[in-house]
Amino acid sequence: MDFILSSLIFTPLLAALVVLLLPVHLQKPIKAVTLLGALVQMGLSILLYFRFDGSAFANGQQGYQFVEKLNWIGFSLGNLGRFQIDYFVGVDGVSISMVLLTGIVGVIGVISSWTITKNVKGYFLLYLLLLTSVMGCFLALDFFLFYLFFEFMLLPMYFLIGIWGGPKREYASIKFFIYTLVGSLFILLVMIGLYTSVIDPQATAMQMGLLEQGKAAGTEVLTQVQQMLQRNQISNYNLVRTFSIPAMMEPANFIPNSLLHVLSGTILWDLPLRFIAFLLLFAGFAIKVPSVPVHTWLPDAHVEAPTPISVLLAAILLKVGGYGLIRIVYPIFPDAGAYFAVLVGGLGVLSIIYGAMNALAMKDLKKLIAYSSVSHMGFVLLGLASLTVEGVNGAIYMMFSHGIISAMLFLVVGVIYDRAHDRMIHNFRGLANTMPAYTAFVVIAFFASLGMPGFSGFISELLVLVGGFGAPEATGLLPRWLTVVAVFGLLLSAAYYLWTLQRMFFGKFWIFPELREHASITDLNTREYLMLVPLAVLALLFGIFPHLLLDKISLTVNGFTEMVLLRGQEQLGLIFSTLK
Amino acid sequence: MPAVSWPGHAYQKPNQKYTLELSELLKPLAATPQTTAALVVLLLPLLGFLVLALVGKRLPRQGDWLATGLTAVAFILSGWLFTQVWNSATFHSRTTWFSLPGNSLTDFTAGILLDNLTVLMLVIVTFISLLVQLFSVGYMHGDKGYSRYFAFLGLFTFSMLGIVLVDNLLLLFMFWELVGLSSYLLIGFWFQKPAAVAANKKAFLINRIGDVGLLLGLFAFYTYFRTFDLEALRTLIGSGNWQGGNFIATYTLNGQNWLVELGPVFLTVAGLGLFMGCVGKSAQFPLQVWLPDAMQGPTPVSALIHAATMVAAGVYLVARCYAFFTPEALIIIAVVGAVTALIGALVALTQYDIKAVLAFSTISQLGYMVMGMGVGAHDAALFHLSTHAFFKAALFLNSGIIIHAMHRGLHCHHLDHDAQDIRNMGGLRRAMPLTFYTYVIATAALVGLPLFSGFLSKDAILSGSWAWAQTMGGGLYFAVPIVGFMVVLLTAFYMARHMWFIFFGGFRAPFAVQDVRLKAGQEVERVMALPVIILAILSLGIFFSLNPLSFGSSWLMQGISIGKLSTSYILSDELVQAVKLQDAANSTLHIVFGVLSTLLGAAGISWAILKYRNKAREQLQQEEPQGRLARLSQRHFGLNEFYDRTFVQPTLALSHQLYRIDIKIIDYTLNNGSKALVILAKVVAWVDRWVVDGLVWLAGALSKVLGRVGRGLQNGKVQSYYAYSLFGFILLLLYIILF
Repeated sequence: MDFILSSLIFTPLLAALVVLLLPVHLQKPIKAVTLLGALVQMGLSILLYFRFDGSAFANGQQGYQFVEKLNWIGFSLGNLGRFQIDYFVGVDGVSISMVLLTGIVGVIGVISSWTITKNVKGYFLLYLLLLTSVMGCFLALDFFLFYLFFEFMLLPMYFLIGIWGGPKREYASIKFFIYTLVGSLFILLVMIGLYTSVIDPQATAMQMGLLEQGKAAGTEVLTQVQQMLQRNQISNYNLVRTFSIPAMMEPANFIPNSLLHVLSGTILWDLPLRFIAFLLLFAGFAIKVPSVPVHTWLPDAHVEAPTPISVLLAAILLKVGGYGLIRIVYPIFPDAGAYFAVLVGGLGVLSIIYGAMNALAMKDLKKLIAYSSVSHMGFVLLGLASLTVEGVNGAIYMMFSHGIISAMLFLVVGVIYDRAHDRMIHNFRGLANTMPAYTAFVVIAFFASLGMPGFSGFISELLVLVGGFGAPEATGLLPRWLTVVAVFGLLLSAAYYLWTLQRMFFGKFWIFPELREHASITDLNTREYLMLVPLAVLALLFGIFPHLLLDKISLTVNGFTEMVLLRGQEQLGLIFSTLK
Repeated sequence: MPAVSWPGHAYQKPNQKYTLELSELLKPLAATPQTTAALVVLLLPLLGFLVLALVGKRLPRQGDWLATGLTAVAFILSGWLFTQVWNSATFHSRTTWFSLPGNSLTDFTAGILLDNLTVLMLVIVTFISLLVQLFSVGYMHGDKGYSRYFAFLGLFTFSMLGIVLVDNLLLLFMFWELVGLSSYLLIGFWFQKPAAVAANKKAFLINRIGDVGLLLGLFAFYTYFRTFDLEALRTLIGSGNWQGGNFIATYTLNGQNWLVELGPVFLTVAGLGLFMGCVGKSAQFPLQVWLPDAMQGPTPVSALIHAATMVAAGVYLVARCYAFFTPEALIIIAVVGAVTALIGALVALTQYDIKAVLAFSTISQLGYMVMGMGVGAHDAALFHLSTHAFFKAALFLNSGIIIHAMHRGLHCHHLDHDAQDIRNMGGLRRAMPLTFYTYVIATAALVGLPLFSGFLSKDAILSGSWAWAQTMGGGLYFAVPIVGFMVVLLTAFYMARHMWFIFFGGFRAPFAVQDVRLKAGQEVERVMALPVIILAILSLGIFFSLNPLSFGSSWLMQGISIGKLSTSYILSDELVQAVKLQDAANSTLHIVFGVLSTLLGAAGISWAILKYRNKAREQLQQEEPQGRLARLSQRHFGLNEFYDRTFVQPTLALSHQLYRIDIKIIDYTLNNGSKALVILAKVVAWVDRWVVDGLVWLAGALSKVLGRVGRGLQNGKVQSYYAYSLFGFILLLLYIILF
């Protein structure tokens, strides 16, 4: 057992400790330590990417690699069984892409933060905390642990926007905080519900004395425990409840007559309780995605956040939403996932079109890009809802690719904001004349984002749309017109990007007179090249060689779609049988 | 409605054989020297692009020699490939690009397919690219973005070659988009010009409308046939047949049986989706509006991209996907082509911008090609694509020479007349004889006069369309060939008018006509003259058919006939075969068509000459379209304004309304919701302070008061106690008595 995953999570925390001990005025060392922490984390994530075996068949618990599992909190509750929280981390095809993305963008973010002058120590401390919690989120396999990291992300983010942000930062940060907090309350509710319903068969076996302490259980023992559980043959005293996500994915681990058991027959507001639980979880993560109509925190947060935080927010934090759906919501509630496919896919398509239309109306470049994020994250929902192999692969690919490309987009906005302290589209014209290299990168970023083949965005959009289009036949979950409508998103995204290029970058050079006094319009500097070039190269690399990522994720996705579809149909049948 | 039996589902039709294994059709194929050479041809321009984009400004002569040299090598290799492939062999190599696991999925492959059509396009594209780059060395000399220009041309050549070479529709779509990108970059090459930037945005967006359709068409075929590979798709379609009105094809994939049953409506719509791509890229009605604006780009770009190659990519796409069109789809394709041909020609009648005339003429000619595709004259359409590439490139490059010459003259005399307005020209025949003669040759080819290349290919399309109308049962179907013949007349008129304005009569700009020459003894730079001369020579019919009066004997047309497609079965097989037979039976009609189109051409030319011969210099210089129809034609029938009013403005308005939803509904609710929450909290706090706390205080205060009263009573005097008990006794008595 090696500790690469724990190292990934806690390296930034370690760096944060060092930063904490450094005196406030040592700004250079503080930055250097932060950069080092991020670099080590990136190195580890790249190492993990290469060591991760994409061909190991992934289904259920066997699919996780580099697993670390430790008893964290555990005590007996007497008649109520045992309380158990594990430090349980592991990586599979879904998380490997997000880990890699976090590693890369983490470093880019530090480089982008290099010009921060206000309260440097506090800033980088929070930044490192953020990296730790995001990485923890992507690696946790215990729901409680996941929730812990998930909630903890809010804290640094709130302060990073609220202190280092723009003029309306207080409003934006509190809006961000409350939105996300409401979402996490929904998640908390379902988490507790799940906890009361699910047991850990292995630990239960130990508790029952079927297994010696510290020994791994064979499948027969586990099956035996699960069968005994379903026949109500285990006394309450011996039940070890768990937050383990893999355990929750297994319907046999649900305690009979518990709230969320498939056959419990519990009805709330005319819906089976499992459906309500799905909807609550979905709402919680949809806020994070964000999906229309719970997206309005995003433009404000982006507009007010400083550039590096926008980069992190768009590139990584949004992905937690989609990741949560794939890691938690769908595997645990496959029945409701199949039942509500049209809702999820419909919200995805709504986000695609609505976000793109809004972007078209924006006057602020950063807001435009924020809305384009909404539009692109809609593809994640659509691909996921289709539950086809192509669609889900495309959804994950979209999360990765959007991470790279949106980082580039927000950096590009930061460049002009640094120079002119303004980013209203109508205040600039013909920037290509004075900033040719900058314009070249803007064109690259815009075209990458609008799905130009050769860039990673195209592969993801293609896979999602192919999956969505084929869904009526392959899974029978989505109507075809949804995907047909979604394809028009490609047209709209081209429209808002090209219109922006036309207005801001081409034509004769002109800038709003009042800005002229403070603005020094110079082309890119070395630091900016250092951030933009690697991202552009990555977007190209993953656009031309999609197997680099797909080979790592596709087997996991295959297991995911098969399991969700199969179990979804089976459990839907059971649920409806209890209703009659 | 389409229906599919998915593996494992009990939907077996009797008498179905499952013999084709799809994954067998997608096996990797080893590279051959020919396909490797083709890959080199593809990558050379990309190399040029990368080098010039990164270090172009630091290279000697800004690297124009590098770009042109690489294209020359690509052309030579293409020539070699042509000799290897043409009518002798096809080469196909393929590798797996990436794959997703799963029983219902095949590998995503990438490969190069070399057949007659490919090598023909390969030679045309590299050859015209080479000539245009040579021309550009002179034309773009001294431009600020000289190396950027050559870099973009390299990117374009790369993408265009990609479209031609690849063996599957997904890759084709990718290169298709890249062509759109390079077109965007080149139209907007002079990005300081607002008109250029508006034009490139428009071109890209309108092309994207077509691409949406194309993408959906791809999805439709992929969903049922599980692959994008062209040969595999053709094989699968070839294995199927029409049963009871539906198209049924069977195959196995990874050992599981697949039965695909598709209705004709679905197949027609899917095919029209693919055709949408062509409508966008090849500027067909109703999406043709971007092409005239695209003339804002440098003129060599117009020649290469917006006349000879890229716009023909749509026709190429239809040819590549010919197997996937139902007869109904072909009807629509034919009609769209005819309408486009007519509209382009009508609008060209009244244009004054030298490039606008040629642009609308291009639209019209592309309409011919698409019409040819629609009527089943697949080979004729491709033939016209080839001949058109040469003569239209010649015309555009020539117009570039004229624009340069006019600029030169105007610049010398510090005038700011429009250098592209043909009303300012006239009589250039004497000052620019070389340009004049090459222009004449290319124009003759465009009008379709005998002995010139256009005569052959246009007649092939016209007679094909006549045979199609006969096969379809006549009646309204004859409208298509009749429109085709009408366009011959219109073409002859607008080109003769064009020539008259430029070359005949007196020179109308206010300086000596000889000032437009480069030097007294030299008309134009040699590097610009050479490509034009070559292209003009190649507009002669003799190069395409040894009998320059009969298209039937053209080597080119024979080489690209449907029979030469690697799999001959197509969805509208019956129709195409019938048209072919009908056409073969029309041998006497062919002579009539030849004579008729010649007469129509001559009539159009005479009409123009008669109209303009006697006009005075001022009349020509100040001519404006007379009459409502003419003005409508000059404004392109108001299509731009119509689209702006019906699509662009409403979309923008809607987007602003949607943003208001964000602000006025979602955020309003949230903000006021949280405000209400704060107010509620304040109320609760008030209640807490005054009601809850108040009650507690009241209790305390009450006991205090009571205590004080009680304390006052116990004053230790017996009299007082006596008085209290007496008072109590009386109260008691009163209670007993009263109640």
